[in-house]
Amino acid sequence: MKRLLLSVIICVLFVSFADAQSKKKKKGSTSYNIKAKEEQKFLEKQWWLGLKVGTNLTSATIKTPYSSVVPTNYDPSFGKKKYGSFNKLGSQVAFEVSFYFKKFAISIQPTYQHSRLMYTNQYLWSDEEDGTNTLMLNYEQELKMDYAVIPLLIKFDLTETKLRPYVQAGGFGAFMISADKSLKISGVDNASGGVNNFTNEPINVVATNLYAGHYWGLAGGAGVNYFQGNVKFNLDILYQYGMTNVSSPENRYSNGMLASVGDAQDDMTLNNIVISVGCLFPLRFLGSGFKSVDK
Amino acid sequence: MIRFFQFISLVVVFVMVSCSDDTNPRLDEQSFTKLYDNNKFNSSYTPIDIKQTADKGYIIVASRVLKESNYRGIYLMKVDSKGNFIKEVEVDPMYVNPVAKFMGLQDEFYFFCMMELSQATQLVKISSDLESIEFSEVGKRYPFAGNMDGNSFVLSTYDDFNKLSEISLVNSSGGILATKSFSIGVGEDIEEPIINHFIKGGTQLPFSVGRIPGGAYYFNGFYNYTFSLVFTDFVAEDPTGVVQGQQEGGGLSAIMPIAANKFAAARFNFGDNFIIPNATLSSSSITSSVNLGGNTFPELVPNAHVRIIHASINSKNILIYASDTKSSQIGLYFYDESTGAFIASEYLGFSNPFEIASLIQTEDEGLVVCGTTNMAGRFPRPTLFKLSKEKLKAIIN
Repeated sequence: MKRLLLSVIICVLFVSFADAQSKKKKKGSTSYNIKAKEEQKFLEKQWWLGLKVGTNLTSATIKTPYSSVVPTNYDPSFGKKKYGSFNKLGSQVAFEVSFYFKKFAISIQPTYQHSRLMYTNQYLWSDEEDGTNTLMLNYEQELKMDYAVIPLLIKFDLTETKLRPYVQAGGFGAFMISADKSLKISGVDNASGGVNNFTNEPINVVATNLYAGHYWGLAGGAGVNYFQGNVKFNLDILYQYGMTNVSSPENRYSNGMLASVGDAQDDMTLNNIVISVGCLFPLRFLGSGFKSVDK
Repeated sequence: MIRFFQFISLVVVFVMVSCSDDTNPRLDEQSFTKLYDNNKFNSSYTPIDIKQTADKGYIIVASRVLKESNYRGIYLMKVDSKGNFIKEVEVDPMYVNPVAKFMGLQDEFYFFCMMELSQATQLVKISSDLESIEFSEVGKRYPFAGNMDGNSFVLSTYDDFNKLSEISLVNSSGGILATKSFSIGVGEDIEEPIINHFIKGGTQLPFSVGRIPGGAYYFNGFYNYTFSLVFTDFVAEDPTGVVQGQQEGGGLSAIMPIAANKFAAARFNFGDNFIIPNATLSSSSITSSVNLGGNTFPELVPNAHVRIIHASINSKNILIYASDTKSSQIGLYFYDESTGAFIASEYLGFSNPFEIASLIQTEDEGLVVCGTTNMAGRFPRPTLFKLSKEKLKAIIN
């Protein structure tokens, strides 16, 4: 709850910041086209619009683990899921709108984000009387999630050079679009007269309803802009720290194909490293030849 | 544009407020799928029946394979309201062949089984936490089935010395209050399917016993060379009524009295399966199950096990049939109790094979389906499916 309140406060600050900029703009709106001496003031303000693409890596923080397999005579930790951490490349495309003022910018970046996450677990059955009789099953699950992510960030330019590094912080809301899950079961059967390594046909299911409709989180990162002519080229690294559960508790066992073989969705939050490149165009204060007056 | 930022900010705030990162225990109770695994290669557990306890948890009675016996042993398991494993008991192998139904009386739970060596019927009383298990000998052999009858029990057994099917009223101490016996016929062959039913690996026949509310008692078992539904009033020497099967190849596979002569039933006939949600059976004459007709279900395995319960879903009286499909799933079939009209079906289990054991409507108006799954396709283990009240509503609507 404290984290929620903190985040709400951050959002309110965003709104206040934007509102303050609005009032300032109205105050000066009658004069900035008249007085050239105030041009420099206008140069400090700019709307930027652009497109960014890139890749992302995902990890999960498990709040409560779930499984439909319930051990009755062995330690549940044996079948515990082992999640991969930032080891599956995803992709994203974002549309960025930002308002720049005196080294600060407020930026919103509606993003279509495709993320991937994997985990493994295993089960073992053995014969008490004949230790060579064993069956090991290895489960490898991959989650593919498509979200509409809306980060709202404040950026601060560290320099005013042509190559301009910045830091950024804010929050984001993520809205589930669709999700798929695949489960590959392989194993080693030592109880059929030899060593039998086998791999079953993978189970692929649409898993959208296993997820909550939306979640939110905090975001922070850094990047660099390179100004070239009217446009600025951007390299951006953002860490998205999920704050709320991405799973749907109501539908945890609703996919019979997965639940029947032991798989159930954990309660978890997602963390993403999002790396993007893009270019942004100025929307206002263009001079002759469509040159930005601040260049 | 500034207003756009304000709008987006409000959207983000809304998302923050509306998201919850707390696990909801209530939702964990409402629906779940659980496969109870034991990692011993040779262990085999096959559930027979399930009851819900006062703490909203569940007790499963199952049979287990005994390496040293021709009979099936007894396995008990307690799970909590979310399906989490609490406790298991592998009952002393001197007690074998637990039979349905698993019955609740006050705060105790009962079922019948038998002694391995003497085949003497035992009434087993267990506490809801499985801490206490008591056995009371009932003066009968080879129990087929049990059921509640008020504060006592009705029991179906086999007298192998005289080749008699027996029905008895038994009190909660194992004392016999009344008994009636009926000949299964003469000759060695007629006994064979009965013995096979008791021996592990043998064909299981749908023996059952019970009472029409306020009316006649009945048992589904062998009478006069056929697997029949036999009615008795515990007074007349002969049955008051019989619904004859066809030797052991045909008969009723499940029966649940609704009122007077009205029953929900299912029958099997040399591999075929028929569901009869609105059957009229006479408890005072001799009829044949073949003439009952019914809806044929070719999707079910030959001579399928069928379970029937009454459920109240969204204030409607519903009959739920559960059975085993050829695709190794558990099929649920919903019928209107008053008209017998088919409403909907639902299938449980994929990938691994699943078989029905029992189903009950829960205290929260959900449904628990208890069955057997074969983990990794080969290890029989208990499984539970909990369907929420909302899910049931969605199914019948």
